Amino acid sequence: MEILQVNHLSKHYKTKTAVNNVQFSLPSEKCIALIGPNGAGKTTILRILAGLLKPSEGTVSFQGLDANADIRPYIGYLPQYPVFHGWMTAREFLMYSGQLAFLSKSETTKRADEVFDQVGITKEARDERINRFSGGMKQRLGIAQAIIHSPKMLILDEPVSSLDPIGRREVLTLMEKLKQEMTILFSTHILGDAEEVSDELLLLHNGDIVESGAMEHLRAKYQTTKIELGFESNLETYQQQLDSFPEVTNSHIDRNLLHVTTTDIAKTRSNILQLAANKNWPLTTFSISRATLEDMFMKVVNQ
Amino acid sequence: MEELANINWAIIAPILVIQAILMVVALIDLIRTKETNGPKWLWVLIILFVSTLGPILYFILGRRQ
Amino acid sequence: MMQWMTLFKKELLENWRNVKWIWVPLVIILLAILDPLANYYMPQIIDMAGGMPEGTAFELPEFSPADAVMMSLGQLSTMGVLVIVLMSMGTISGERKSGVSELILVKPVSYWNYVSAKWTSYLLLIWLSLFLGLFVSWYYINLLFGELSFVAFIQVVFFYGLWLTFVISLSIFYNTLVKLPGLVAFLTIATIIAMSGITQVFSHVLAWSPNMIAQHIHEMLLIEQIPGDLIGAAIVTFILSILLIIGATFTLQKKELAN
Repeated sequence: MEILQVNHLSKHYKTKTAVNNVQFSLPSEKCIALIGPNGAGKTTILRILAGLLKPSEGTVSFQGLDANADIRPYIGYLPQYPVFHGWMTAREFLMYSGQLAFLSKSETTKRADEVFDQVGITKEARDERINRFSGGMKQRLGIAQAIIHSPKMLILDEPVSSLDPIGRREVLTLMEKLKQEMTILFSTHILGDAEEVSDELLLLHNGDIVESGAMEHLRAKYQTTKIELGFESNLETYQQQLDSFPEVTNSHIDRNLLHVTTTDIAKTRSNILQLAANKNWPLTTFSISRATLEDMFMKVVNQ
Repeated sequence: MEELANINWAIIAPILVIQAILMVVALIDLIRTKETNGPKWLWVLIILFVSTLGPILYFILGRRQ
Repeated sequence: MMQWMTLFKKELLENWRNVKWIWVPLVIILLAILDPLANYYMPQIIDMAGGMPEGTAFELPEFSPADAVMMSLGQLSTMGVLVIVLMSMGTISGERKSGVSELILVKPVSYWNYVSAKWTSYLLLIWLSLFLGLFVSWYYINLLFGELSFVAFIQVVFFYGLWLTFVISLSIFYNTLVKLPGLVAFLTIATIIAMSGITQVFSHVLAWSPNMIAQHIHEMLLIEQIPGDLIGAAIVTFILSILLIIGATFTLQKKELAN
């Protein structure tokens, strides 16, 4: 089941193109990370989906609705730097948000306490003025206002990038829980965060989706294994010998280590160890590492 | 200054009362506000010493919305 | 309707928390009574300032109640309008500039509700302030300048209130057009000044211009009946105000709400 379909979406500004003919669809009840370096167009895409920006070209269609239908009732949105009415209390703001999304007053009252519990805003803080809130508390309130009306889809723009390690952990845990209830689309430039909670990835680079798919699928597709070798000297001569193996796809020297990428780890490992034993190589380091999402990301972006 | 006696103070009093209320409300609001546009002490001076206009200036320009 | 009430109540609460509900009525009262009182006590004020040179024959004019009403309206038309424009300059533009509107307008909020709830809350504040201001002024006028009927007072409030309705509608329209509150205030004031200039130059054809309302009110007080031109100007002002609010809704709808 797809919850959202984006067709040929572009956003041009006077001097630059922020999003260039992007096409993707989001599976429902999954957590999808929109990932890319700063300036890749993540915020622009999220704002278009939230209805804050109008696309220059293309359409966004939401599960079963017309292309021009108002999708705002079904989405919750948290901007990167949420700003509230500081003169309101957290509860007042949440009541305001909920009632704007057509919840009745009594429904909102009930829902507000549920949501406060969910995002971890303490009983005392609920009736405090928002302008006394810390950054982390504001972020929680931001998520609270985005889910108060139980949207089908939650859009979060860099939800953890401004938080300290503890806050970041709490928000990621919260997202883990929320994805049982709704589709989450969030942007991040930090790959670890995406790896931790998302099921699917959309890789954005210079306004283009350069890669997308399920997490495991992408991992398998880009997974490579590297062997790092240390020698007492003459790394280049050993590099030449290793390059002659057909399964070795790449090798380079970095910080006095010889990095060897291979498609067949078992074969390369036994080859190297045999050579080392037979020829009495002055091996100082031998370690095997698997490529992380980060390597894959850099690889895709650098293509 | 016998002219002063010609002025019916009961008539002028409301003006003074309104000015006083404006000043007090502005001061209370200033104390309760965390941040203002510009230094707080300056607003205290303006509210206290620029009659009538001082509090109005504070409400319009001094408050952070 | 429920959503409209939510937006409207938020505006009332905001204007209560930022003490507009206290200071705006007080300032309007002050402005409304300042000139009638100052003029009434002019002889004493002149004396206190050192008096007139010996032998100057200087007759202070006698003011009628109608003149006194015009003194009140004179202050309201300058300082009063300025206060109204300044206090409303950020109502939408400020929310857009700070970014709060990103949280509000991603909810399924109808733009018409958003604009008209703000408009109504400001109308309530302004009409109430105007009523109080002119009421106190009316009291003084009866005390110091002579009788002015209650009906005449209500008529003045009604017609002058329409002028202020136009002012706030104009301010809200510019609020949706630009994002800087200062610029909103500038454009609103500039438009009012330009309209007043044009009205003066072409007064013979623009008798129904909103800027003519105060002048027609004077005439109404003198002839003790409502002149046709006042009704015309009132209708034009009302229609223009509605058009401005509808225009504001469309402008906001067309605008991109984020940068």
